Amino acid sequence: MLESYIPIIIILIISVLFAVVNVNLSSLLGPSRPNKEKLSTYESGIEPVGTAHERFSVKFYMVAVLFILFDIEVVFLYPWAVSFIGLDQLKMMYSFISVSVFIIILLVGYIYVIRKGALNWD
Amino acid sequence: MIQIKDLLEVLPLLIIAFSAIFILLLEVSIKKSETVIFGFSLIAILAAIATSFNYFNKEMIIFNQFLRISNASLTFSVIILISMLITVIASKSYIEKENVNFGEYYSMLLFALMGMMLMIFANDILIIFIGLELMSVCFYVLAGFLRLRQKSNESALKYFLLGAFMTGFILYGIALIYGITGTTNLTLIFSDAKVLTNYVFIIGTALLIIGFMFKIGVFPFHMWIPDVYDGAPTVVSGMLSTAGKIAAVGTILPIILAVNILNFKIIFSVAAVATMLYGNVIALAQTNIKRLLAYSSIASAGYIFVGVASMNEFALRGIAYYLIAYTFMQLGAFIIVAMLEKKDDGSRDYKNVDLDFYKGLGKRNPVIATFMTFFLFSLAGIPPFAGFWGKYYLFFAAIKSNQIWLAVVAILLSLIGVYYYLKIIVYMWFSESLEPVSEEKFSFSDTGFAATVLAVIGTILFGVDPNLFFSLFKFVTP
Repeated sequence: MLESYIPIIIILIISVLFAVVNVNLSSLLGPSRPNKEKLSTYESGIEPVGTAHERFSVKFYMVAVLFILFDIEVVFLYPWAVSFIGLDQLKMMYSFISVSVFIIILLVGYIYVIRKGALNWD
Repeated sequence: MIQIKDLLEVLPLLIIAFSAIFILLLEVSIKKSETVIFGFSLIAILAAIATSFNYFNKEMIIFNQFLRISNASLTFSVIILISMLITVIASKSYIEKENVNFGEYYSMLLFALMGMMLMIFANDILIIFIGLELMSVCFYVLAGFLRLRQKSNESALKYFLLGAFMTGFILYGIALIYGITGTTNLTLIFSDAKVLTNYVFIIGTALLIIGFMFKIGVFPFHMWIPDVYDGAPTVVSGMLSTAGKIAAVGTILPIILAVNILNFKIIFSVAAVATMLYGNVIALAQTNIKRLLAYSSIASAGYIFVGVASMNEFALRGIAYYLIAYTFMQLGAFIIVAMLEKKDDGSRDYKNVDLDFYKGLGKRNPVIATFMTFFLFSLAGIPPFAGFWGKYYLFFAAIKSNQIWLAVVAILLSLIGVYYYLKIIVYMWFSESLEPVSEEKFSFSDTGFAATVLAVIGTILFGVDPNLFFSLFKFVTP
């Protein structure tokens, strides 16, 4: 059984070698003549303003977390919505109640978020 | 498909889940809601305890075989509920004192409680995992609840990093077990005797058990305990060391008993001895009472593993008895430390948690010192307190499984423990006070005091009448 792994190992070795050798070859053989324009950040032609390593307000983080939370909710709803129409009556009711419980739980979270002012920017 | 009547079979779980969510709504809809929430969570836990007793002697597998209600799991869940009840009562005055009186605290406690109960009732490894994560995430938040205190933040971060790493172990173990058996259902996994000798399966189970040994704090996976318990809010430390451990023990015990591989028995014995030795010896050198209690909780994990290593019909009885005794005495000791702690003054560290502070406590505060003495006697295993019977039944299980050496070693090592517990008692009653007497301010209306009284009642009640426990939890005496 283990023999069947040999081709995989060979492929792994070759791909790693190929990547390492090529990256290093270009830096070894290529000419290196940097100037100010070349080293500046590429911003699609616009002059760069300051560095990218700035401290962001924690508010962005809050919005991002909440976005993921409620985005996941929608992700779960899509497959349910698609398969809902094909179900028979009893299962339709059953799945509807299940998903309602799921949404109500998230709704409580949403009310909590709103009332706590997590979505207020100021 | 899940039937409606299945929902009635897990009423305690539902009560806790709904009240945890409902508390969030209460928190945002009522002004000054903390007292309401406190009362509400108390009622929820009491209702869950009351309903739990309906299900004893009714072994059943429900929810598409996802949950399994048995006497053992109900016993563990009731012990956890009791631990949480005492924690909630003690928390009120503590979080007021620390200026973090938020309703979310109780919600977090109840969510953690729900995770723990889910874990214990689980009959499917994935449900165990969900419960474990629900519990752990709430624990990380609770450990860092004193957000302005550096110690608390440090504790939460350490707990989170190590806990997340160990979750990886558990998940890898689950993956291997699933890979071999093709199912995550515990009944199906252990129904095939042939699979139990498969090496990959053994490795998977070992990883799973290692992850839970971390949660219980067994040597060599104990390193996080002193730092986390030291930095976490004191009441939360008490809760982590009781409810958190009970949940992990209650979850992994059926798995260990089902696997029952001889080699594991030796490993568990060695781990138990190492844990007891480490916990007891290092505790001797501690000068901070929270760290001392943390090391004593490591030693307790060792005693529990003496029971786990014996793997016979007496093991469950001994472990359950020790855990309920441990809940009362360890939680009680932590709550007393919490009550005596100095009010939040914006400092980074906790004040009044040094052992020196306890010198002469008997003169300054005789009632509290008496209660502390009870808890410490119980932890040391001196009759007529509950800790004595807990150790008795554990060591009895070890003797019955022909591991007399283990019982002898455990007794000798618990003698080391007696020294540092008695040291505090000597400090309290026979040393001159280093603190000015006038500084003591302590009122009996403190909810921590009510919690301590509950813990004292438990410690003495289960110490005086051990049969009470067995009749309460419907144990068939072997």
